[in-house]
Amino acid sequence: MKFLTLLPIVLLTGCLANTPVKRTFPEVPEELKVACPDLRTLEPTTKMSEVVSVVASNYGQYQECQIKVDTWIEWYKTQKQIFDSVK
Amino acid sequence: MMIPDAMLAWVVNTILIAGIIGFGVSFFFGYVVRWLPSIAPYHLLIQVISIILLVSGVYFKGGYSVEMEWRAKVAELETKIAVSEQQSKDANTKLEEAVKEKNKAIKDKQVVVQTKIKEVTKIIDAECKVSPEVINILNQAGSKK
Repeated sequence: MKFLTLLPIVLLTGCLANTPVKRTFPEVPEELKVACPDLRTLEPTTKMSEVVSVVASNYGQYQECQIKVDTWIEWYKTQKQIFDSVK
Repeated sequence: MMIPDAMLAWVVNTILIAGIIGFGVSFFFGYVVRWLPSIAPYHLLIQVISIILLVSGVYFKGGYSVEMEWRAKVAELETKIAVSEQQSKDANTKLEEAVKEKNKAIKDKQVVVQTKIKEVTKIIDAECKVSPEVINILNQAGSKK
């Protein structure tokens, strides 16, 4: 008799079991986690060549940073599309 | 932690089958008691218990079916999530390779540009002298402050 009264409780614990489906946040490529560096500054000089060199270097840094931002945007769009596809 | 499917099925089916058998026995008690006279005094008890078991068994069977349906949905969703996680990893690998290639292209271009500047340094410096104001303005433009 005691077993019979306990039996429904045992069965009901199966209904109470919570089985949330876990999703992990996607990882970001390591290159994108590095912040864009500061622009190079000029040392006091009168030489135009040094100015051109630093300016060209800063152009390159900007382009690398631009790639980083564009890749972040593409990463977000791709991951969102994958996330939304799971229903 | 979930109760295993097999254990749940076993318990539910046992209750249901016991209820059906008990109900059958109580329904045809007159015939059954000829074979098992020892159960004659327990007719009412068998009837009550078998009805309880039968009703409970049917109820739990319904609950079991719903539970199995939900578990199947969870399993399906987990499969889809596993596929999407692999797609995410593949997408990340492609992006990493693309970024590395583009950065390499920029660095290579920088090497070429800086080499060219060094080659024409004398020509540039001979024709143009930079005033300190230019340095200050450029540094101001390039700093965050």
